[in-house]
Amino acid sequence: MAGFRTGLTAWARKRSIWVFHVNAASCNGCDIEILAALTPRYDAERLGVELVPSPRHADVLLVTGTMNPLMKDRLKTVYEQMPEPRLVVAIGACALGGGVMRDCYNAGHGIDTVIPVDLYIPGCPPNPEGIIYGILKLVTGIPDKPEEAQQVVS
Amino acid sequence: MSDNTEGPHYTESSAGLMEYSAESAMPFGPVHPSLKEPEYFKLILEGEKIVQVMPRIGYVHRGIERAAQDRTWVKNVYLVERICGICSFSHSLGYTQGVENLTPFEIPRRARYLRTVVHELERIHSHLLWLGLIGHWAGFDTLFMWIWKDREHSLDLLEAITGNRVNKSYSTIGGVRKDLPDGMAERLKTEAGFIEKRLDYYEDLMGGEETFTIRTRGMGRINQEVTRRLSTVGPLLRCTGIPRDIRVEDPYAAYDEVVPEVMTSNDGDVASLITIRLKEARDSCRMIKEAVDKMPSGDFKINIPRAIPAGESMFHVEAPRGELFYYVKSAGGSTPERVKIRTSTMANILTGVEMLKGHTLADVPVVLTGMDPCFGCMDRIAVLEVDKGKEWSIGGEALRKYGIDYYSKRRGGK
Amino acid sequence: MSVESMQTIADETGGTVTTSKKAIVLNVSREKVPEACAKVAAMPGFYHLSTITALDLGEQIAVLYHFWQGKVFAVVKTLVPKSDARIPSITPAVPAAVFYEAEVKDLMGVFFDGNPYMKGRFVLPDEYPADAPAPLRKEADPAKIRKMLKLE
Repeated sequence: MAGFRTGLTAWARKRSIWVFHVNAASCNGCDIEILAALTPRYDAERLGVELVPSPRHADVLLVTGTMNPLMKDRLKTVYEQMPEPRLVVAIGACALGGGVMRDCYNAGHGIDTVIPVDLYIPGCPPNPEGIIYGILKLVTGIPDKPEEAQQVVS
Repeated sequence: MSDNTEGPHYTESSAGLMEYSAESAMPFGPVHPSLKEPEYFKLILEGEKIVQVMPRIGYVHRGIERAAQDRTWVKNVYLVERICGICSFSHSLGYTQGVENLTPFEIPRRARYLRTVVHELERIHSHLLWLGLIGHWAGFDTLFMWIWKDREHSLDLLEAITGNRVNKSYSTIGGVRKDLPDGMAERLKTEAGFIEKRLDYYEDLMGGEETFTIRTRGMGRINQEVTRRLSTVGPLLRCTGIPRDIRVEDPYAAYDEVVPEVMTSNDGDVASLITIRLKEARDSCRMIKEAVDKMPSGDFKINIPRAIPAGESMFHVEAPRGELFYYVKSAGGSTPERVKIRTSTMANILTGVEMLKGHTLADVPVVLTGMDPCFGCMDRIAVLEVDKGKEWSIGGEALRKYGIDYYSKRRGGK
Repeated sequence: MSVESMQTIADETGGTVTTSKKAIVLNVSREKVPEACAKVAAMPGFYHLSTITALDLGEQIAVLYHFWQGKVFAVVKTLVPKSDARIPSITPAVPAAVFYEAEVKDLMGVFFDGNPYMKGRFVLPDEYPADAPAPLRKEADPAKIRKMLKLE
């Protein structure tokens, strides 16, 4: 995370955030709001946010969904393929802690039990404006002290 | 079930599925023990052509049918609509109407009309979403951006009527949750007219763009034999010429008075699916205007006692993707005994497999999106090249880039 | 498609017919299920298999095959004992049933002889233990399943 804060690289990284999106057993509600954030009404692309085809090109990982066992290994693999510095955003109530599925037998725990999460965006699903606000807050407002690293955005 | 000759060979089962057996005659089956990572689709290629596709589902299996037994009847509305974010109102409509059929109560006519309006708005939003995605996967990103910008108009209407864009919770047991706000009726008619005009524009745009039609015409061809054998539902069924629509065959909500027009085509390919969905979206605009004109006054909800009488009910709705089936069984208590849900994509997966056979890897994104799947996008595809003995996987976006490059090389440009 | 034609099939397969709002139910024994379903599917006009549902009735499991005939649901219903939950598959005559039967096998533990998806898991994850009860059965407890799948 320190790599985001030093000088010219930090300045450049904040203005060009490449995201990779993973759907971990989600109902697609959050996924379509993420895609809507990239379309002309909300237009995250004017801020430099771009959806990339491979985790190896990405700075930020967006994860939606409650995670069932079939997706656990897949999510870990994707996270390990991302080069450092990397950030993870959990989007939607399901990724936070299971949401409405929290006591289902095949799903319903948050993704932070599998990979470290840097930002949580609650909502079911969160508004595209909320998603853009969250990503920007994450990238521009990273504190120097690691203890303050986890934030909650609403 | 397999022969014992040399080399890889296949056997067919009646559903058109094959079990690939290697020389050791070990059945490969849908789940091979050596697959380190379960894939969404395994494509078996011979040379350039796909000869078999083996889907692995269960990625979005969350155990909702079991969870529904632990929640009260009304709480289940919130659970059930989160099965799919794109057709969430169809789920809540199927569930609430299924439960109402167990009771001796009739919901007011106004509630039926309001449900129809939101149902059609959802159909518009879902079809526009799909049209944009087809553009995206075929490399026509301008279409994707413009269509999704116009789609926001339907989402604004949904937000103004129900309070949320995606998981609307509008239908409840006994009617709908709230009435139309003031001035909404006029606004609905104006916006529906605007969306209709934009759909006309997109029809011209898509029909005239050569780089787009070359990727959709003739792709994913199916015929009536396939759809009858596999009980396909939705636009995939209608693109082979079979005019079946649950809203017309078994009217629910207000469809006995606001009658949809059933759109069919005889070509059975992705281009005809585009035409059908465009026409359905336009017809939805027409129906919204008609429903607003004919809307009766009265209550929008009645109170139904919490304990639903014992019995079982079967109910189906025409979600944007096809028939959505609900079976609800009550034992007389405050929670259901059994809720069985059959989503439209589940019925169409095997048809999607048939659509893919005979195509090359470059056509996979467009053909697969043509069947309008609703399982978290085709994130990962495993490819098994039989004659070369190679197995590798590719992600969805990378496959999309491969397809775009393939077709631009075919056109001779770069 | 009417009660009379269902009654004819019932007489041929040794079953009984009951009617309810919107559904004509044909109750048959499990050996006769493929024959009954093939006959329902071959009725003139259009046939369409909506889905296959399984219900846990305590000692027995009821399996319902829902056919939509354009005006009413034609349901073929059979009962199997929980201790010996096997039914011959209807996929040779009705290929659309293959996924629905596989789902019932995964979630309710009913085995369909002749269905190609009976090996391995279909909707459940591979880690689901083979000796654990099928999740929709009454004896299955979601909290225990979550522990088994290490979802805590």
